[in-house]
Amino acid sequence: MVEKKDYKEWPPYAPGTHVRESDIREKKITYSWWEPEVQYSWSVGHAMSKFLQGLKDGKLYGIHCKPCKRVIVPPRMFCEYCFGPTEEWVELKDTGEIETFSISYLDADARRIEEPILVGVVSIDGAYPKPMGFMHYFGEMTKDEIKIGMKVKAVWKPENEREGSITDIKYFKPLKGGSE
Amino acid sequence: MGFLEKQTDPTSPMHWRGDMQADYFYPSGIAGDKFFKHLMEKDTLLATKCKTCNKILFPPRLYCEDCFEEIPEEDWMEVPASGKVKLFTKATINAHGVKMEEPKVIALIDIDNTDGAMLGIIKTNELDKDFSGVKVKAVLRPKGNREGTLKDILYWQVI
Repeated sequence: MVEKKDYKEWPPYAPGTHVRESDIREKKITYSWWEPEVQYSWSVGHAMSKFLQGLKDGKLYGIHCKPCKRVIVPPRMFCEYCFGPTEEWVELKDTGEIETFSISYLDADARRIEEPILVGVVSIDGAYPKPMGFMHYFGEMTKDEIKIGMKVKAVWKPENEREGSITDIKYFKPLKGGSE
Repeated sequence: MGFLEKQTDPTSPMHWRGDMQADYFYPSGIAGDKFFKHLMEKDTLLATKCKTCNKILFPPRLYCEDCFEEIPEEDWMEVPASGKVKLFTKATINAHGVKMEEPKVIALIDIDNTDGAMLGIIKTNELDKDFSGVKVKAVLRPKGNREGTLKDILYWQVI
């Protein structure tokens, strides 16, 4: 028969045993370690294929849904409002407007950083209805300068470094005077 | 290409390739750590005794799984690295499903002086023998080469 222990608090405080990186490196604890081979190949689909190939050429492509009067970016093969097929490819300008932003003191790997990175959603010019665009980094501006509604322009990687990825645009910089 | 056209070439859209880093790290835990550190130094195994249930737990545990009673430090005990085969099977394919050149006999071994058991490989030439109840002992890696995992038990040998 098990007696019920007289705990002062319930559930009882259990501190656990923390494993530190040094415990692993200095072999203070025993453990199993396994690195599985997990490769994937993800088909981006036809609309995103065209979009990403466009980025490689330094162009932004949207797609037109005529019944709903929408220019969708990133493009999709169907309009999620009317479920009809989208029809016409539209080349968009690489300028836009900051829709939302965030000042992040964590980097992409969730490490704490001194200088914050600026991220947010850009509404691309020529795509509508607003907000219509995608998330990206902002650069050449400080955390005090960034504001919603700011006009921005894409800064591209050099052509030979582009690989058909959203990071072919390095970041969006402020567009002074509202036009090029 | 439009939405209503049929896709016939699966390679035509772009593919995003990647290698997921999904490292698997499993610390042995408090009881497991003690067990494996003992195994690195000695040629015997460790077990714990639950005095309430009068059971010897193997692999050793900090809590009895029947009555949840905590096991005090003094109830840890050394047991020989030998036992009796409880169950066995002959494996002809490896973990990847590929046929092995030499089949392996995998057995559940009741460890002597305990109420517990563990899995192990029996090294033998007689692959079609009935191993039920056969006495076996563990063959360990040479001291100094042991790394504190279950792989320190190389195989089990019929006595």
